[in-house]
Amino acid sequence: MRRTYLGEFEEVVLLMVAILDGEAYGVTVSQALEEHTGRVVTFGTVHNTLIRLEEKGFVGSELGGATNERGGRRKRLFHVTALGNRALQEIQQLRQQLWQLLPPTKLQLNSL
Amino acid sequence: MKTNELHPPQWANRVLRWLHPEDTLEEVEGDLEELYAYWYERAGKGQATWRYLLNVASVLPPFVRRRERKQAYHNPFLIQPSMLRNYFTIAFRTLAHNKVYSSINVIGLSIGLAAAMLIMLYTKDEVSFDRFHANNPHIYRITSKQFTPAGAFQSYNTHTGYLQGPKFAAGVPEIKMSVRYQSDRSDIKVGTEVKSFESFHADSSFFALFSFPLVSGNPATALREPKSVVLSEEMAEKQFGTTNALGKILLVRNSNGDSKEFEPYTVTGIAKKCPQNSSIKFDFLFPYVVSKEDMANEGNWFNFFQNTFVVLEPNANLKKVEATMNRIFEKDAKQAMEEEVKRFGPQSKMKYMLQPFTDMHLNKDMPAQNGLVDGSNPMFSYILSGIALFILLIACINFVNLTVARSLKRAKEIGVRKVVGGGRAQLMMQFLGESFILCFLAFGFALLLVQMVLPTFNELSNKALAFSYLFDAKLIAGYFALFAATGLLAGFYPALVLSNYNPVQTLYSRFNLSGKNYLQKGLVVLQFALASFLIIATLTIYSQFNYLTNKDLGYNDKGIVMVNKSGLSRNEAKVFKDELLKNQNIRDVAPKNGGNWYTVAKVNGQTEINFAYETVDATYFPLLQIPIIKGRNFSAEFNSDSTSSILVNETFVKKAGWTNPLGQVVDFWYNEGEKYKVVGVVKDFHFESLNAKISPQLFTMKPGNQYGKVFIKIKEGSETASLSHLAKTYKKLFPTNPYEYKFMDEENEKRYESEAKWKQIMLFGAILTIFISCIGLFGLATLSAERRTKEIGIRKVLGASVASITTLLSADFLKLVSLSFVFAFPVAYYAIKEWLENYPYRIDISVWTFVIAAALSILIAFFTVSFQSIKAALGNPVKSLKAE
Repeated sequence: MRRTYLGEFEEVVLLMVAILDGEAYGVTVSQALEEHTGRVVTFGTVHNTLIRLEEKGFVGSELGGATNERGGRRKRLFHVTALGNRALQEIQQLRQQLWQLLPPTKLQLNSL
Repeated sequence: MKTNELHPPQWANRVLRWLHPEDTLEEVEGDLEELYAYWYERAGKGQATWRYLLNVASVLPPFVRRRERKQAYHNPFLIQPSMLRNYFTIAFRTLAHNKVYSSINVIGLSIGLAAAMLIMLYTKDEVSFDRFHANNPHIYRITSKQFTPAGAFQSYNTHTGYLQGPKFAAGVPEIKMSVRYQSDRSDIKVGTEVKSFESFHADSSFFALFSFPLVSGNPATALREPKSVVLSEEMAEKQFGTTNALGKILLVRNSNGDSKEFEPYTVTGIAKKCPQNSSIKFDFLFPYVVSKEDMANEGNWFNFFQNTFVVLEPNANLKKVEATMNRIFEKDAKQAMEEEVKRFGPQSKMKYMLQPFTDMHLNKDMPAQNGLVDGSNPMFSYILSGIALFILLIACINFVNLTVARSLKRAKEIGVRKVVGGGRAQLMMQFLGESFILCFLAFGFALLLVQMVLPTFNELSNKALAFSYLFDAKLIAGYFALFAATGLLAGFYPALVLSNYNPVQTLYSRFNLSGKNYLQKGLVVLQFALASFLIIATLTIYSQFNYLTNKDLGYNDKGIVMVNKSGLSRNEAKVFKDELLKNQNIRDVAPKNGGNWYTVAKVNGQTEINFAYETVDATYFPLLQIPIIKGRNFSAEFNSDSTSSILVNETFVKKAGWTNPLGQVVDFWYNEGEKYKVVGVVKDFHFESLNAKISPQLFTMKPGNQYGKVFIKIKEGSETASLSHLAKTYKKLFPTNPYEYKFMDEENEKRYESEAKWKQIMLFGAILTIFISCIGLFGLATLSAERRTKEIGIRKVLGASVASITTLLSADFLKLVSLSFVFAFPVAYYAIKEWLENYPYRIDISVWTFVIAAALSILIAFFTVSFQSIKAALGNPVKSLKAE
C-alpha cells in the first residue's frame, strides 16, 4: 500500500474528526483540540489541515443543512474515510509494535 | 441586544468576505462567528475580538489553503481533429456569409501587410548596403576631422588626395592595402561620334580589396598597365555589342584634361554589374595614374578630391591605427604645413580617422559622395516604416472593430458552444484561428500586391529591388513574424471579448451590445487621427514643393539652354557666340565658368570672407535678367574691367559690412597684387537650390579663368530650330567635345527631386490610410445600420424623413472623426514645423492646411457613412418590421 505521510498535527486532527464522529467541523475540532491537548492554534491552521487531509483522502466532507444558528450559514461536516481509518489503525499498530520492542528496563530508567 | 453584542467587528468580516476564497467562505464565516461567540462567553469581548481578528488573518491569503476545484465534467484535449474541422467549416462559412466584412478585412490587411513587406524589403536593402565584400568588415575609408586653429571642431572631410593611401599603407603595418578611387569623366570616341561618360580611376589592388567579380580578365593585373580599362558588362555590350570584349581597343580622352587627342586603351577586364546595394558602381574603371612629382610633392597632403579605402588586419586596433596614421601625417606633412601657414596664415588642424565602409551609406556627416553613389538618409527609412506601420495598424483596427461589432451575430453560436461544453480557451483558439485564416488570405494577396507595385516603389525609393529578394531566410522569417504579429494583434482582443460572453444572456436574447463601447470609438478616433495627420503632412509637402519650384529665383530661367565645353578660351567663346548669333532665334549668349568655384579673399584690409567665385562676362546679367541695384555692369567701354573690376551680390555686401560698397577693395592676398574694385552690386538671386541660403557671390572677368559652359537665350517657341542650329555650330567648332544640352528651368526642377519623391510617397501613404480607414468606417456603418433596421422602420412609420434618419446614423461617426482632429492637429503642427525648419526658404504654416485637412476627412467620412445611412433610411419599413 502506498503510504501517505501523515504529519503529527494532521494525525491529531484526524483523530479528533474520528472522536467527534459526524459532528466534526471547524469549530468543534478547534475546541476539542484545545480541550483535549491544550494546544491553542489559529482557526486557519485547522482549516488548512482539514483541507489537506481531504486532499489526501483521509477525510470526506459535505455541507450540512442550513440552520438558524450562525446566521443561516451552512457547516462543512467532516468524517473519516475508510482510508483514514486504516491509516489511523496502521499508526496505532506500528506504535504498538515499536512499544513491544522497547526493553522494559529502559522505560523504567527513563521514567525515573 | 444580546445578539448584537455577539457580532464580531464588521470591518474584519468585510475583509474576510473580500479576500477569502469564495468556495469556502460560507463555512469559514459561520465557523468564525460561532468561535467568536464561544470566546466571548469564556473570555469577554476584548479577548474575543482580538482572537477573532487573529483568526480571520489566519484564513486570508497567503495563509489560507484553497480547496482543489473538482472537475465537474470530463475535459477533453483541446485539439481534436473533428473539432478542428468544425472550426474551419464555421470560419469559411462566416467569411463567405459576410462578404462585405470579409473583403474589407482582407483588403485592408493585405494593403497593410504589403506596405510592411515593402518596407522590410527596403530596410533590408539599406542595412545590407556594401556588406557583400569578402573583406567586410575590415574595409575602412580614410576620413578626417577639421578643427579651427583654436581647436574647435569645424567639419568632417571624407576626401583624401594622392598621398594618404600609399603613405599610410606603407607606414602602418596593420593596413593590408589601400585603394584610391577617383571619379572623373571620359570622352569616348566611336567612329566620329564623341560621348562623355562618368568614369573612375582606381589603384590596381581595387579587385583585391573589393569583391567585384570579373567575367573575363585577370583581376590581379587588370589595372596594372596605364592604358588599360575595365568595363562593366553593360558598357561592353553598349560599346562593342558583345561582352566578349577582352583585348579590344577603346579611344578615350579625359573630359577635364587639356589634351585634345584620343588615346587607345585596351580592355583588360569585363566586370559583372555592380550589385544594387553597392556604393561603388562603375562602368569604366581606369588605372590610377599619378606622376612621381605629384607623389613627391608634400603640398599634396592638402589636396582633397577623392575617396581612399584601406583594409585592415582582422585583429587590428582601430584607435592604434588612427594614432599611427596621424603620427605619419604630422611627420611627413610638417614642411608643407609650415608653408601653408606662411602663405595663408593659421590653418585649421586636421585629424585622420577611419570610417567603416558599411557606415557610409546612411551617414549624414560623412556620406557616400564624390563618385560613391546612392547615399541615403536614415530619416527616409524611419518615415517609410512609420507610414507602413500606420497603414498596418489601421488595418488591424478595422479587423478588431468589425469583429467586435459583428459579434452580436455570433453571440448565439458562442452561447451554444459554451452550453455544450466549449471552454473559454477553446473559443479563444477558434477566434484566433479565424483571424489567422483571414490574415493568411491577406498575406497571399499582399504578396501579389508587392509584386505588382514593386516597380513603382523602386522608382519612389530610388532602388532596384526585385521580387526575388524576398526569398531570403531572414526576410522570410521576418514575414512570418509579421504574419503572426498581425494575426495576434488583430485577433487577440476580439477572441478575448467573444469568448467572454455569458451563454445564459446570449441565448435568452437579453444581450446588449449597444453599450458605450469606448474601445471601438477610441480606435476609430485613432484611425482618423492618423489619416488626418498624413493628410496635413501631404498638403504641407505639396505646398512647400510648389513654393520651391515656383518661387522667383531672382533670375529668369525660361528659354535658356546650357551647354558645357570644358576649357573654353576667350577666343573660342567669342567665335562660338558670333556663330550662334547668326541665327535670329538665338537672342544672346553668355559664357560662364564650369562647375561651382568657391574661394576666399580679404575685405576691409583683414576680414576673410568665403564666397562663390563666378567668372562671367558682361552679357551674363542681362541674359538672366538679374537686376544690378548699385553701380554698373561690366562694360566694354572700360578696358580695365577684366583685370580690376568685380561685381558682388547683396549678401556679400552684408557680410563685408559695407554701407557704400562701390569702390571697395577685395584682396586676393595669396596671389600677389591681385586686388579688385567693386563696381556694381547685383540683387541676390538663388544661384544654388532653394534648400541652401544665398551665400556671398563675386563676379569677375579675370582673363586667366577659363569658361566651362555657355548660357544661350533662345526665342520662345523656337526650340527645334534653335537647338538644331546650336548642335550644328557646336559640332562644327568643337568636333572632339561631347555635345549635350540642358534647359535651365528643367535643371532647376531636378534640384527638388527628393522633395518630389517625398511628395509622392506621402500622397500614397495618405491615400492608403484614408482608404483603409474609410472601408473600416463603411463596415461599421453597415453593421450599425443593420442593427438598427427595426428602429429605423419604426421611426419611418412615425414620420421621420430620410434626411433626419441619415443624420441620425451619420452623426455618431462624424463626431468621432471630428474628435480625432483634436489629437492629430497638435502632433501634425509640431511635425511639419520641424520638417520645414530644414528649409531656409519655406512656406508659413497656414491655418488653411488644417481647415482643408479637416474638411477633407469629414467629407470623405461623410460620403462613406452616408452611403449606408441613406440606403438604410430609404428602406421600406414594412419589410424591416415584418422580418423576424
